[in-house]
Amino acid sequence: MIPDRRRRSFLDPLALSRLSGLPLFARRPMLGSVSGRHASPHRGASVEFAEYRKYVPGDDLRRLDWRAYGRSDRFYVKEFEADTNLRCCIVLDTSGSMNFGTTGTTKIEYARQIAGALSYLAVQQGDAVGLSCVAKGVVTSIPPRRNPGHLLHVLDAIEHAQPRGETQLVPVLHELAETIRQRALIVIISDFFVEPEELRGCFEHLRFRKHDVTAFHLLDPLEVGFNFLRPMRFLDMEGGAAVFAEPNEIADRYHKALQGYLEDLRQVVLRTAIDYHRISIDEDYEKVLMQFLVGRSRGKGVR
Amino acid sequence: MSFLQPLMLAALPLISLPIIIHLINQRRFQTMQWAAMMFLLAANRMSRGYAKLRQWLILLFRALVIAGLVFAISRPLASGWLGITAGGRADTTIILLDRSPSMQQQGAGGVVSKLATGREQLVRALNTLGSSRWVLIESTTNSPNELESPDALLRLPSAELTSAAADLPAMLQSAREYIEANQTGRTEIWICSDLRENDWNAASGRWKSLRDEFVQFTQGVRFHLLAYSQTAPDNLAIRVTDVKRQTTGEGAELLVSLVMTRQTDTDDIVSVPIAFEIEGARSVLNVEMVGPTYELKDHQIGLEQGHEIGWGRVSVPADANSADNDFYFAFSKPTARRTIIVADEPTVVRPLQLAAGISPDPTFEHGAEVLTSEQLATVEWEKIALVLWHDSLPEGPAADLVRAFIDRGGQIVYFPPRDPDRSEFADMSWNGWAETTAELAVETWRGDQDLLANTLSGASLPVGQLKIRRHCELTGEATVLASLSGGDPLLVRVSTDRGGIYLCTTTPAASDSSLARDGVVLYVAVQRALAAGVETLGDTQQLVAGDSQQQTDPWQRLAGAEAALSTDYPYHSGVYSSDNRLLAVNRPAAEDLAKPLEDAQLAELFQGLDMVRVDDRAGSIDALIQEIWRLFLATMMVAMVVEAALCLPKLRRAEGAAA
Repeated sequence: MIPDRRRRSFLDPLALSRLSGLPLFARRPMLGSVSGRHASPHRGASVEFAEYRKYVPGDDLRRLDWRAYGRSDRFYVKEFEADTNLRCCIVLDTSGSMNFGTTGTTKIEYARQIAGALSYLAVQQGDAVGLSCVAKGVVTSIPPRRNPGHLLHVLDAIEHAQPRGETQLVPVLHELAETIRQRALIVIISDFFVEPEELRGCFEHLRFRKHDVTAFHLLDPLEVGFNFLRPMRFLDMEGGAAVFAEPNEIADRYHKALQGYLEDLRQVVLRTAIDYHRISIDEDYEKVLMQFLVGRSRGKGVR
Repeated sequence: MSFLQPLMLAALPLISLPIIIHLINQRRFQTMQWAAMMFLLAANRMSRGYAKLRQWLILLFRALVIAGLVFAISRPLASGWLGITAGGRADTTIILLDRSPSMQQQGAGGVVSKLATGREQLVRALNTLGSSRWVLIESTTNSPNELESPDALLRLPSAELTSAAADLPAMLQSAREYIEANQTGRTEIWICSDLRENDWNAASGRWKSLRDEFVQFTQGVRFHLLAYSQTAPDNLAIRVTDVKRQTTGEGAELLVSLVMTRQTDTDDIVSVPIAFEIEGARSVLNVEMVGPTYELKDHQIGLEQGHEIGWGRVSVPADANSADNDFYFAFSKPTARRTIIVADEPTVVRPLQLAAGISPDPTFEHGAEVLTSEQLATVEWEKIALVLWHDSLPEGPAADLVRAFIDRGGQIVYFPPRDPDRSEFADMSWNGWAETTAELAVETWRGDQDLLANTLSGASLPVGQLKIRRHCELTGEATVLASLSGGDPLLVRVSTDRGGIYLCTTTPAASDSSLARDGVVLYVAVQRALAAGVETLGDTQQLVAGDSQQQTDPWQRLAGAEAALSTDYPYHSGVYSSDNRLLAVNRPAAEDLAKPLEDAQLAELFQGLDMVRVDDRAGSIDALIQEIWRLFLATMMVAMVVEAALCLPKLRRAEGAAA
């Protein structure tokens, strides 16, 4: 599947082989260019019966159901579901804040693992994969394609993505909603340090464009726990002003702000029906992806 | 607040240790790259009221922990009053103990007197405070006695109750002399008293000099007043004002006059059984008392014909103060009142003879003998009560006779001779007649005491009506009892241990004054001097506790306080026999009605001195001072617990959800 044998740090062949047993399904009908394993909004030539329809002049006479004509003396055309492939667009946040990590790995490394694995799984099942690295704007944009050579290109882009600059996730997502053709699977991997209300606009925009949106929200355990013992001077990784804080004094309010943000975000994803996954980066990404794929297979088939 | 180890308080700046550590900690910050800045900024925008308060509270409680520890090891003392000592152990502690009868007053519902409570409190307080030297100055002798420890106060007879009044200025004077003589270091003076006006004598001029002298001590003298100023309005005090034995047709009888007093102003009628005891024979008279005083005049008690000398006691039932419930008296046949008049000028002799020879009471035997100074050796001095001397002041053997007479308790009144010489007696001498053109009137005189005192009904003697035509000038120091317009004295008294020496600067002669014509003043003065002289002559004598200067060796107690030492008999009420005479000792009259000093008066007495006052009650069981380091240790522990509770991280319910 992968032509070059060069080891990439974010790809674990054993994990990929285990994950490849599970298909990656879209939750919504996709518009693909070739036949695949995802539901299509159009009728097609699969073996799955869809409906009977009255014959209209011009229809292919080979699709007339002669048995139905024999029973009812009327002409009916028998229609079947169409299966198609999907376009998976991975949106990778490469802002400066993604370089944070206190558990031996950083958010960007974790994001690379998820993005790499998903790219591999999609291409393996014949789907097209594209990549957009975003920070202040769209840093790298690779349109979705489904050939294995394209996968190498995507993996290279993932590997070379460098976290720097501030986050402008909201305008970039609006931009992507417009530029990506309708009915694609859009996987956003980010720490989402944006106001939830602004995110809601983005998610609704993407939904309006009939995209199937999945969000992987990466958080470091220290960001959640905020367990500091000594006074700290916090330097903004995205170039903002530094903040001096006495952890004992500020911890309560920090947690309050964090909980408020998470609750708002939860409301946003519930309203916008986003496939949302909050991930602590000390979790095993394989397990996270396994849950993600299993969850997808349950929601498959909605047309 | 006071401390037994005040030096430990030097560690108090350690209280700032938590703040210093906090500030150092602030400077030891770490720098970290941080992604989730939006939450930090949001947290900074939030109200930080409680968080800030919590930080301050934590610092406060940490400081409190250290403060509690420092205070605990400084051994703080608690009392109903703060600032009991200036700190540290005193070099000398002087205890002034008021042993006057009013200190026997008991607390409400209790059986413990003010004196007993005061001693207990002093022992407890002083044992806690500690001192290098303990000195007791009690109110009878006013002399300092060193004690081994404060515990001795509970054992010493000299700390028990007496019937004698206290003289606080004299006690303080004694304390001052002790400090001066022994050059003590830092001195604490503890005064245990019930603040009665008569004991404190606030009007005395001695207070000012005492204040000035104490202020001058550089070693630091601090006064602690343990005051028991509560009064007992319902307390009854009984006092015999007069006892006369007279012969009747059936035998003899005793006429007892007495007065009962109480401090209440109400008009409640109180039924009081007065018990009369004549050498063991007891009778009771029930009287009804209205108002603050009750007076009984000449209550008759029958005596056997041969019962010529004896003693008795009147008493009222037990009340708040048992020390004023009894009064002792002694009686005998009236003593002859003999006067000798040393004069040879008839115009002077006659008025004096009349004044001394006419008895105010027919039962008294009076006699006035006129003689010259040369005849003095022939006089039976032991039977003489009064000498009226109109001649040059005695010198040589005559002066010795007169001095012995006065030392025995006799009274003498000198009148100026026609030709005054330079002879001296008791440092007094006549200076010569002052020539005045007009008659002089008496401008001022002492109506409160001595020969010219007001009558029992309160009316003053007509001294102001006297006309003095000539008067003799005096040299020497004496107490002026009456003075003329212009300032010259008319009547003076020389201070003596016993007896009385009076000098009148004019004579009863009509050319000199109207003393003879307006004879009331002369008669009353002479009779009073005579009565005072007779006091020491009779077979019985009424003594005021503490006033007697007699040798107590021959004294035998017939009635009275059994616990009293024989050397202290003059200070304890009772009846004593001495050389076939009966002596009845009783508390001073002022003790019966003494009011406590006002706070303002007390503050004035100690003005400029370092004085702390604490009011206690008879029967109080609360210690004046006690060590309270445990309280501070407990405070420290509580502060530690609270600090720990404040430092505990909040239970984060949302933490699980976030993970």
